[in-house]
Amino acid sequence: MIARNGQGYLQQGLGAADLFTYLYFAEALIDPLNPNWAERDRIFLSTAHNSAVFHATLAERGFFEHSRLETYTQDGSELEINVSERLGPVVEATCGSLGQALSVASGLAQSAKRQKRAFRNYVILGDGELQEGQVWEAAMYAASNQLDNLCLIVDLNHLQVEGHTETVISMEPIDKKFQSFGWAVKVIDGHDFNALREGFEYARSNSNVPTVIIAETTVGKGIPFLENLMSHNMVLPADVADQCLTYLKSDK
Amino acid sequence: MKKNLHLSDFTNLASSSSIPKYYGEALVALAKENPRVVALTGDLAPATESDLFREAFPSRFFASGIAEANMIGLAAGMARGGDIPFVHSFSVFLTRRAYDQIAMQLAYPQLNVKLAGFLPGLTTLLGVSHQAIDDLALMRVLPNLTIIEPSSGKQTAAAVRAAAKIEGPVYLRLHKDKTVISNAEVEQNLEVGKGQLLLDGDDAIIFASGYMVAEALVAADLLSKSGIKVSVANMHTLKPFDTNFVMQHTTRTGVVVTAENHSVIGGLGSAVAEVLAEDPSSASIKFKRIGIADTFAEGGTTNYLFNKYGLSASHISDAVLKLLNVGS
Repeated sequence: MIARNGQGYLQQGLGAADLFTYLYFAEALIDPLNPNWAERDRIFLSTAHNSAVFHATLAERGFFEHSRLETYTQDGSELEINVSERLGPVVEATCGSLGQALSVASGLAQSAKRQKRAFRNYVILGDGELQEGQVWEAAMYAASNQLDNLCLIVDLNHLQVEGHTETVISMEPIDKKFQSFGWAVKVIDGHDFNALREGFEYARSNSNVPTVIIAETTVGKGIPFLENLMSHNMVLPADVADQCLTYLKSDK
Repeated sequence: MKKNLHLSDFTNLASSSSIPKYYGEALVALAKENPRVVALTGDLAPATESDLFREAFPSRFFASGIAEANMIGLAAGMARGGDIPFVHSFSVFLTRRAYDQIAMQLAYPQLNVKLAGFLPGLTTLLGVSHQAIDDLALMRVLPNLTIIEPSSGKQTAAAVRAAAKIEGPVYLRLHKDKTVISNAEVEQNLEVGKGQLLLDGDDAIIFASGYMVAEALVAADLLSKSGIKVSVANMHTLKPFDTNFVMQHTTRTGVVVTAENHSVIGGLGSAVAEVLAEDPSSASIKFKRIGIADTFAEGGTTNYLFNKYGLSASHISDAVLKLLNVGS
């Protein structure tokens, strides 16, 4: 789907693929045959540009046919480069403008608590996005209102448009920031499924506090010549794309 | 609507007693009928009368703290959970501080959230930081949004009921005022998207909104002393805008003044101008916008500011006289 025109935030997608896999296949209660199920767990993709891995995950999970991935980023397609709710159910909010999803998820988590509904609310957020002040407004609200049905996953890939996050705006220590905001914090290796399982089990075990899982990820994961290559919106030349596909297929 | 109404049918002078909480009481009444209604505030519960809701329904009231951007996101999430959130702040903070959030999280997905903004235009002592002179322009340009500004405190209840009937985002521009338009027919009815003719005269029409409806009625009274009979219309819905009503009364009178407690750019005056400019039959229409010129203002009493910035009844009547080529 990316090879066709080279676009789709490949680096971030490869970095977050393990995280998406665990969340959509092992953690969240969702039903591809009934995507509008009112009591489904909600997953908010705050980093809406991480769309190649998102659409690929949904197709693999059975929400739509794989053939639809071929329309990705084509004019008129619902599979946009910034995920939009034009796609339909399972896009829980349209979030290309960064820093907004944690607020919406907090509102839904609050609503679920008041209505005594059991579904959980997950937010995937990029580390660069933590620079948006609204994230911390929401972090204060969620802790203040004891939203234990809310789980934030920070995809800590150290990458933003202008380069390495720490060279743009230093945000460390991220774990201590969330702790001081009243959150339960778990720092994990975002490529280790056992660690991901422990992180999400920890989140579900917490009462009266929201949980953040800080998942350390490597951009370009799985393709040696792309790993740690800091490129925010890389356009992949056709020959490199072919090499990537060959590599991924051989790996399988 | 009966004809030949007199100004005294509509206005009475304010007493110095405290202003009734028309909005707060209307919201509580609505929430009694509909358990899905919830309320959010940005640390302004008393000023937005949502303290009445907090007292009546504490479990349905949520304090976002002084964080408007987050508050809009919270409301969006609650609406996605089936609630009907009413969000409270001053107009200026709701519309400027959370504009992108309103666009992306409410207007684009057409969520059932009501924004209740207070202190419109120059109706506050609190100064330039608190004066919403551009909120209508900002909200009007957003697709999917309905915009309602009741003409008086007493029309507010009708505005709240009307907003609740809309399954989608609504911006309510609310003001607490002492001058009430006391005609029951006007106050108790608010049909979204329909202009309300308050006074019927053939020499000119004043399209007014919000606080300026009362000013327009006073202007009409001033003009009647010179033998000039003007129509006054309450344009309580800025979007969707009643273009047929505007053209009907424009064609009938040929002289049009708009009056709004807002910048002359982007609000009611612009909305009327857009209608007129695209209608070939309006080529000979005389037209003037009354509102805040392209300027920031300052803190002061409403009367002082309305006089200084050209929003008083005499500014409206002078504009009519000038268009009619009558010396004032």
